[in-house]
Amino acid sequence: MLTITDLTHTWPGQSQPTLNIKALHIDKGERVFLYGPSGCGKSTLLGLLAGINMLQSGQVKILNTDLATLSHANRDRFRADHIGTIFQSFNLLPYLNPLENVTLGCEFSKQRHKRLADKNTDVKTEATRLLNALGINESVLSQDVSKLSIGQQQRVAAARAFIGEPELIIADEPTSSLDADNRQAFIETLFSQAKGYQASILFVSHDQSLASLFDRQISLSDINGV
Amino acid sequence: MGYEMTLLKLAIKSSLNRKASVLLTLCTIAISVMLLLSIERVRQDAKSSFSNTISGTDLIVGARTGDIQLLLSSVFRIGHTNNAVSWQSYLDIKDRKGVAWTIPISLGDSHKGHAVLGTDDAYFTHYRYGKKQHLAFQQGRAFHNGQEVVLGSDVASKLHYHIGQQIVISHGMGNTSFHHHDDNPMTIVGILAPTGTPVDKTLHIPLIAVDEMHQQSHKQPILIGNKPQKTNDHDHDHDHDHDHDHDHDHDHDQHDTHHDEHGHQQFTLDSQPGDLIGAPKQITAFLMGFDSPLYTLQVRRNINMYKAEPLLAIMPGITLRELWEMLDIVEKILLLFSIVVVLVSLLGMLTTLLATLSQRRRELAILRSVGARPIHIFALMSSEAILITFMGCLAGCMLFYGLLITANPLLQSQFGISLTIDWLSNYELMLLGAIMAAGTLMGLLPAARAYFYSLADGMSIKI
Repeated sequence: MLTITDLTHTWPGQSQPTLNIKALHIDKGERVFLYGPSGCGKSTLLGLLAGINMLQSGQVKILNTDLATLSHANRDRFRADHIGTIFQSFNLLPYLNPLENVTLGCEFSKQRHKRLADKNTDVKTEATRLLNALGINESVLSQDVSKLSIGQQQRVAAARAFIGEPELIIADEPTSSLDADNRQAFIETLFSQAKGYQASILFVSHDQSLASLFDRQISLSDINGV
Repeated sequence: MGYEMTLLKLAIKSSLNRKASVLLTLCTIAISVMLLLSIERVRQDAKSSFSNTISGTDLIVGARTGDIQLLLSSVFRIGHTNNAVSWQSYLDIKDRKGVAWTIPISLGDSHKGHAVLGTDDAYFTHYRYGKKQHLAFQQGRAFHNGQEVVLGSDVASKLHYHIGQQIVISHGMGNTSFHHHDDNPMTIVGILAPTGTPVDKTLHIPLIAVDEMHQQSHKQPILIGNKPQKTNDHDHDHDHDHDHDHDHDHDHDQHDTHHDEHGHQQFTLDSQPGDLIGAPKQITAFLMGFDSPLYTLQVRRNINMYKAEPLLAIMPGITLRELWEMLDIVEKILLLFSIVVVLVSLLGMLTTLLATLSQRRRELAILRSVGARPIHIFALMSSEAILITFMGCLAGCMLFYGLLITANPLLQSQFGISLTIDWLSNYELMLLGAIMAAGTLMGLLPAARAYFYSLADGMSIKI
C-alpha cells in the first residue's frame, strides 16, 4: 500500500536533513500509529506522502505508484483520488455548511465520483450517510459550521476524508482538541469506516495513550535516522 | 484546468461569508463606476448638444470683437456686444455674389429673463441646427407683421404662454429692466418645436418691432396696444381684427367685451402680412449661407477687411470647435478625476483581499488537502476579485441609470443638456471593460500571494 525507501529531505537553507527514513511499509487496511513529538519532521513527512512537498531523494510508493514519477498536477490529482486528510483542528471551510464540507472531498476528484457511481450512490447521499454513520445529526447538516462543537467538526472532517473511499487516510493529530472520552470514540468511528472498504490509516500523534488502539505503533524518532 | 464551476461556487460562497467587507468594497466600486459613467455621459452629451447648436450657417458676421465672443453672443446669447453692424453694411454684403441667404439678428432685449431676438422671415426658412435640421413649428406659424412674436418651446412652457396671448417685451436684458414697454404688447402667433439649443429660450420678433420698441423708449409713448393690460385673463381672445388695428385704432375695449361674449380660444392665425424690417439703423449680427464654400472664404476675407466699418466674419463650425477645445482641459480633468476614483476603489479592493489573505491560509491548506492545485488556489483568489469588480460594475451601471433618470429633467431645465437615456455606448462598454481589466489585474496580486502560500505551506496549517 505505502512503501518508503531511503527517503531523505533537507529544507532549503538547512545543512542537516529533516528526514532520513531507510524504510517504512504500511499494508492495505493496516492502522498505524505514528508517534512523533513536535519538530521531528512530522509535517514534512506528511507533506511528502501527500505529494505536496517535492521528493528530493529516495522513493515513496503509494498503491504501487512512485510519487516521484508524477508531475505536480498528477500528484495533486493522485492525492485527491487516493488520500483523505484530517487536520488537527479547524478542518472545515467556514463558508460551506457541514454537508458541503463533506462533498468538497469529491470536488477535485473524478475517481472518487466514479467510485460512488459504482456503488450506485451520489455524492450528496453518500455524504449524508457518512455524516449519520459518524454521529452527526441530520438537523445540523445545513447549519453554520461555526455552530458545531469541536468534536462534531472533527467528525465532519472525517466524513470528508472518507467520502469516495480513498485508500489512505492521513490523520494529523485529529484528536488533540478533543477530551479523553471523545478521543477514543472518534478513533473507533474512524476504524469502523476504514474497515468497510479496507482503508489504511496513518494516524500521527504525540499522545501515546492512544497508541494501543492501533495495529502497529511506530515512533518517528526511531525510524528517522537524522 | 477543469473544476471552474467548483471554484466559482467556492469564490461566491467565500465572498458571501465575508459580506461586510466585500459589500463595502463593492459599494465603493459601484459608486466610482457610476461617477465615471455619469461624467462621461454628461461630457459626451454636452459636447454633442453644444456642437449641434448651429449648423448649415457658413458665416456669422458681427462688429469686430473676438471670434468666440461673437459666437457666444450671436448663437448662445451669452454676453453683450456693444458694437453693431450698420444696416447699410448688411445690405451691401447681402448682395454679394454667391450669397444664398442671410438672416439679420438683433439682440439686446429680454422678456422675463429670456432673450428677445429681432429678425426677419429668413430666420424660419434658413436657420438650421443639429444635423442641418430646420426649425419646425410646434404650434402656429412665423410672424407676419410687427405685432407678432414667435416663442421658443422653453419660453412657452416655462411661462405658460399660448398662441394668441399678448405679451410685453421690454428693452434691455434681464428681469429688472428700468422701463417696460407696456405700451407695446405683441401677439404670440407661433411656438417652435424643441431644438435643445438656445433657440428654445428665445422670443423671436420682427426687426421692425425692435425698432419701434426702442423709439418709444426715447420719445413720448405712442399708444399702439390695448393699454392698460386689463384683459390679461382674456388675452387669447384677441383676433386678427384688432391685431391690425393697433396702429390706428384705440377703441379695443369694445372689441374685447364683444369677444368675451363669444367665449375663449377663438383666436385665429389669419393676419395681414406687414413690413417685418422697417428701417433699422443697425443690427447685432447676421448669419450667412453661400452657394459654394469658395464664396464663403472669399466673402469672409472681404468682410474682415471691410472698409466702411470694422466687421468680423467667423465660420461657426470652426469657432465652436475652438470654444470646445478651451473647455476640453476642464473635461479632461474631470475624466482624470473619475478614473482616479475608480482606481482608488479598486485599490481598496486589493487592500481588503490582501488583508484577509493571511487569515485564509488555513482555508487554502484545506483546499490543497482535498486535491486543489496551486493554480486552482490562484484561480479562486483572482475570480473573487473579478467577481467583486463585476458586481461593482453592474451595481454601478444600475446606480448610473437611476441617476440618469432622476437627474435628466433637472439638467434639461437648468442647463439645456438633454442626456440620452440609452444602452451603454461602445465607448462606455470599453470603459467598463477597462475597469474589469484593472480589477482583474489587481486580483492577480493576492492570487499570486495565495499561490505561493499554498506552495510553501503544503499540508501544514500555519496561522
